[in-house]
Amino acid sequence: MFTAQGAPRAHYAALHARMLSLSPAELADRQRTLEQFFLLQGITFTVYGAGDATEQIIPTDLFPRIIPASEWTRIEGGLTQRLRALNAFLADIYSDQKILSDGVVPRDLVLGAPSYRREMHGVFVPHASYVNVSGADLIRGEDGTFFVLEDNLRVPSGVSYMLANRDAAKRTFPGTFRSSGVQPVERYPDLLLATLKSLAPEWRPDPQVVVLTPGVYNSAYYEHAYLARLMGAHLVEGRDLVVHDNIVHMRTTEGLQRVDVIYRRVDDDFIDPLSFRRDSGLGAAGLFNSYRAGNVVIANAPGTGIADDKAVYAYVPDIIRYYLDEDAILPNVKTYLCREPAQLDYVLANLDTLVVKAVGASGGYGMLIGPHASVAERETFAAQLRADPNNYIAQPTIQLSTAPCLVDGQIEPRHVDLRPFVLSGQKITVVPGALTRVALRRGSLVVNSSQGGGSKDTWVLTKRGSAP
Amino acid sequence: MMLARVADSLYWIGRYIERAEHRCRLSDVMLTSTLDQNDAAVAVARRAAHAIDEAQVATDQVSAQDIAHRLVLDDDDRGSVVTALSRARENARQVRDQITSETWERLNMLYLRVTSPSAERALSRGAASFLHGIIADLHLFKGAVDATMSHGQGWRFLLLGVYLERAQLIARLLKVCFGDVAGRALLEDHATQIAVLRMACALEPYLRVYTAEVRPRYLLEFLLFDEEFPRSVRFSTQRMEDHLTGLAGPGGAPGRSRPARLAARLSARLEFADMDEIFAPSALLSSVAEECASIHDAIYETFVSYPLEQRLPA
Repeated sequence: MFTAQGAPRAHYAALHARMLSLSPAELADRQRTLEQFFLLQGITFTVYGAGDATEQIIPTDLFPRIIPASEWTRIEGGLTQRLRALNAFLADIYSDQKILSDGVVPRDLVLGAPSYRREMHGVFVPHASYVNVSGADLIRGEDGTFFVLEDNLRVPSGVSYMLANRDAAKRTFPGTFRSSGVQPVERYPDLLLATLKSLAPEWRPDPQVVVLTPGVYNSAYYEHAYLARLMGAHLVEGRDLVVHDNIVHMRTTEGLQRVDVIYRRVDDDFIDPLSFRRDSGLGAAGLFNSYRAGNVVIANAPGTGIADDKAVYAYVPDIIRYYLDEDAILPNVKTYLCREPAQLDYVLANLDTLVVKAVGASGGYGMLIGPHASVAERETFAAQLRADPNNYIAQPTIQLSTAPCLVDGQIEPRHVDLRPFVLSGQKITVVPGALTRVALRRGSLVVNSSQGGGSKDTWVLTKRGSAP
Repeated sequence: MMLARVADSLYWIGRYIERAEHRCRLSDVMLTSTLDQNDAAVAVARRAAHAIDEAQVATDQVSAQDIAHRLVLDDDDRGSVVTALSRARENARQVRDQITSETWERLNMLYLRVTSPSAERALSRGAASFLHGIIADLHLFKGAVDATMSHGQGWRFLLLGVYLERAQLIARLLKVCFGDVAGRALLEDHATQIAVLRMACALEPYLRVYTAEVRPRYLLEFLLFDEEFPRSVRFSTQRMEDHLTGLAGPGGAPGRSRPARLAARLSARLEFADMDEIFAPSALLSSVAEECASIHDAIYETFVSYPLEQRLPA
């Protein structure tokens, strides 16, 4: 929010002035109203802990984060470029595998990854658009450059918080919002629906789109229901689906109805017990065969996980150059692959400054933050690294940028990241907004909601609004 | 067209909501009757509480306050207001995309109110206002259902649940009063008659029809057969019939579906019944309960858990 000299950056000036004009009591009052709003709407996520599950509201911060138009243009261009390249990569990996033959990405790295789906070979994917919804995690480094930290191409969540935060922010700072010139995010649900419909074959003129959820006990259930409601689509569970003659139907009060496009919020492993995990009750038996036969579309396509594998991530700049003949607009974070002996040695020697992540894990689990870990923790982790180097990557510890947050009545800086959402069907659309996740614990760098993270609204300004 | 699972959830929201409301009213009347030191009315309330929940003790050993507590806040109990509202909300959460935000907010607010840590205190300190508040919120919920949801299938399933539950509850209440000698003896007292009418939220509408001259026979007639009173058994079955007729059957098959036929039959029976011919209301009341159970089963067979092989596309 502030320049190095301590003055508010130009696009924050209006908000800064407003913040100073409010007393601590007024701030607390607004915070309470905000929380009440979330609680009443049932905007909660489920935390599974010792034995029982509790519903909690995701901690939401009062102050929006603001991104000027010039920075946004770069982000938008960078994300579009990245997704085009990654879709091309997936299309290649699941057909001719030219990129592997040309030695740009190591063959064993791709074919040996658990997220690689042999079953997807030769499957027709509409518009060769494998990743229909993605939500990359970006971070802003010390010099103001945005880096891509993770691509999140499987089933990214959080978009409902982006929309709900916006709803709330309009109530909290109506005046500042109006005068700032903020780009709207409210069109996300209809853009999503249009994207999903664009995947249906032409001979199904009025495609039936459904959202597939694991059910009410899933921690992101609120979001599944929210999107289904705003799209006017049915929210189905695996038990509502029946596959007959390679065609997917849902059980309605009037009998079986054909389903054309499934926006699934269930992981690859669980969508079809006949093709993937046999113990899964979340999907529908025969779904994948119907998909292969071209009778139904699954979005995102199964097998996209290979392109957001943490080790493949290191090659994304090369992937962009290979398919698009362009340099990456948004840089990667420097990544050491522990599978390379030289890089492993470097990682082991510098454990106290690096962040080490397990390739297969997500959600902030299975990682070591070197500077914050004890010597003993580092030693245990080093042993794990030596035992199974293929499973780990390491990155320098990046000081995430901070944004002002209201914590216990005080305005304090907290680390934040940025998750914009990108839709890709017939064309690629970047929604002008994002979920800003906040590490609410002082000094913490972990923003995941399961580990004490919160969120705040993100205002992307129009060109007019960005002018000083 | 809607998902079978969704229809099921909406139907149960309706049932749980009605159940919660009835229990609130029962507790309220029971507690007021203790204040009035009207033992006969308290006894009827105890019997009514026992009738909807076997575990409730009908003897005098348990105080009215304890019974009310069980009816309202007991969370182990299968049928307390708290469990009914929690389940209604759980069902609503499962069909969150199918109900309007206004409806959801009302129900969620109710749920937060009865599950809040202060609910216990509120009930023991000021039962009347606490219960009255819940009932008023339930009315707001039903109002939101009517005013904001499309009057299509989902709405019909929800109201089907409300009216089916209501018909059963009123029939059960009447059975407590008219089913045996003990019940009829209790009902001879004027204040008890008033209490029973209040349990059915029927006092004022009754007075308009029969004036303050309360007779057990009129009371029975009103709660069973009145055409206009929304809580009479006849009115409820009539609405069930309307909603079932409005629901398209499997594959848009012509003619009435089985549940619609059953509801129409019950409703005709109540419509053409003659008060003078009813020598034993107990038998009629029992058959109302049985018919409601068959309608419930038929709804499931027709709309929710139908066998797949009959519905596969040709």
